[in-house]
Amino acid sequence: METFLNAAAQFTDPFMLFVILAGTVGGVMVGAMPGLSSTMATALLLPFTLTMDPIPAIALLSALYCAGTFGGSITAILVNAPGAPPAAATAFDGYPLAQQGRAGLALGIATVSSTIGGIFSIIVLIVAAPMLARVAYDFGPPEYFALALFGLSMLASISGESAFKNLLGGAFGVLLATIGMDFTTGVDRFTFGFYELTEGVHFIPVMIGLFAGAEFLTQANSLDRVTVRAALEAVKLPRWADFRQTLGTVARSCGIGAFIGVLPAEGGTVAAMIGYNEAKRWSKDKSKFGKGDIRGIAGPETANNAATGAAMVPTLALGIPGSATTAVILAALLVHGLRPGPHLFNETPTLLYGIFIAMLLANLMFMGLGLLGAKLFARVTLIPTRFLWPAVFILACIGSYALNQSIMDVSIMVISGVGGFFLKRYGFSAAPIIMGLILGELVESSLKQSLIIFDHNWLRFFERPIVVVFVVLTVVSMAMPLIGGYRAQLRAKMPPSADVPGD
Amino acid sequence: MPDSPQSGERAAKQRFAARIPGDAIAGAAVLAFCFAAYLVTLTFREAPAAIAQNVQPATFPRMVLAVMAVLAGVIIFQSFRTADKKRKPLKPMVWFSALVMPGFVIAFYLLGILPAMTLLCLGLPVLWGERRFAIIVPYSIVFPVAIYLLFAVVLKVHFEPSPLAFWR
Repeated sequence: METFLNAAAQFTDPFMLFVILAGTVGGVMVGAMPGLSSTMATALLLPFTLTMDPIPAIALLSALYCAGTFGGSITAILVNAPGAPPAAATAFDGYPLAQQGRAGLALGIATVSSTIGGIFSIIVLIVAAPMLARVAYDFGPPEYFALALFGLSMLASISGESAFKNLLGGAFGVLLATIGMDFTTGVDRFTFGFYELTEGVHFIPVMIGLFAGAEFLTQANSLDRVTVRAALEAVKLPRWADFRQTLGTVARSCGIGAFIGVLPAEGGTVAAMIGYNEAKRWSKDKSKFGKGDIRGIAGPETANNAATGAAMVPTLALGIPGSATTAVILAALLVHGLRPGPHLFNETPTLLYGIFIAMLLANLMFMGLGLLGAKLFARVTLIPTRFLWPAVFILACIGSYALNQSIMDVSIMVISGVGGFFLKRYGFSAAPIIMGLILGELVESSLKQSLIIFDHNWLRFFERPIVVVFVVLTVVSMAMPLIGGYRAQLRAKMPPSADVPGD
Repeated sequence: MPDSPQSGERAAKQRFAARIPGDAIAGAAVLAFCFAAYLVTLTFREAPAAIAQNVQPATFPRMVLAVMAVLAGVIIFQSFRTADKKRKPLKPMVWFSALVMPGFVIAFYLLGILPAMTLLCLGLPVLWGERRFAIIVPYSIVFPVAIYLLFAVVLKVHFEPSPLAFWR
């Protein structure tokens, strides 16, 4: 308690409050810009923190991380171009809702859900960190492989025309992840002589292309569409009844986000995808999902923010990054001469509590910014399509370029955009491809390692209880939508009289 | 009046195309892609057994391709059992806009980011039917400059000098 009070005392310094506010405002802005993720922003900001003391430096990066995760939802909702990968799932329902002229409602739900998720994750980080870290610490390659397969199997019930198309999209994403040098043998795969592809295809240009690029062409196909009065409706904030409708989803996503976040290398993006999927799965009326259901916003937004604090658990406790952004924060800790791991808890507890408080303040600040600024953000929809989408396309190109400062990434974004447009036309969603691309490396590396451990005996996977649990979950998650679809077909074939016995 | 042989042939082709569901065509395209990708995997170098540890570089991509081929087969099979979804034809502007996308990348490479952005901000709204030049012109100057300053100056993103930018 004394350590906590010592850490809290540091935040009475106006400079510390300014640092948190700057990180929060910067995070929301950066997160809102397509292509400018919080990962890239923290990486770009890291050199600027070298001259600062460790606590404000790490606090600044942590605040940027929290606010950046939320900020991505703004453009996901308003222009269908997720500012950051964790907001990809938010666009599924956020954008349709904004198109219906209810952008303010979507933003309000996203803001409150994000804050609840973020605060929950910090409580998890403070109270249950050692326990959760221990669970993840016990995972070996077979468990990771089973977990990644489980994640991919969940695609079967994600938004889209058919479960098989989603699974095919996921498999295609995994195939994209194999582009580049094979990390165990050093052999180039699918590089076609382009040295830029040796390091593989980063998911950010692909994601920007599949969402923003494809939407750019969709907009080109509907230039004559008139969005009359959208702005007038857009300024309405959500009511208590709207929040009440999402309470169950928010509670579930808090757990999902915290659990996924605490697993090393898993981050807010996967948590958001699963959060969305579970929001849909638990809903009695699934028909509104993908068309503007507020639970489709609350699910991923709570989950991705619940993953932020949780992702710090393995980063701080084990020195293993919980997500891409926490990998940058891990590097910042090392640069500042701090050694992440159990020692950090014993040697510099004030720093740890400082990080907790910084993240808590960032969550409260972005809630204020999101709610008070919702009307302002919603006005983005007033910008004419003929001016907005050239701007989005430019941001998408520069966002793709800025990652590695490579024209090849811009080309990948453009190819993904054109390809994504035609895939969407044939009922293939962008999300499974992205999910596959993110999980692809984990799937391959953990499979290879497991096969070496098990001497290529696949049956030995089932000797591990956690693997068995994930395999069962995988089978269930794949079977549920298929059974649901089969039952729906049966119901459709049944004569009307059969539905009403006694008629 | 009887149809000409050409128009009859066209009608027969249209009837045949109408019988093939769109998903079957998409599934067949995926199968063709899988076959082509499989052929590419045949060109991967074999790693020494000591390094590869019985998992050659081509093994995993081939496993994924096999999964994709099976799923594509299921989609083709399913497409004949369900009603085909009707898709609205694309407007010509989609094709023009799709050409603008690689065009911008080429301009980015050849002219540099600032001229490329200016050209896009000037040309694309006009292509899309905007005629309010009092807005277009300031937009095509202010927006590219603001974006350039944000990325190049504030965020220190390095933009390569273009091969044609002799004025630099």
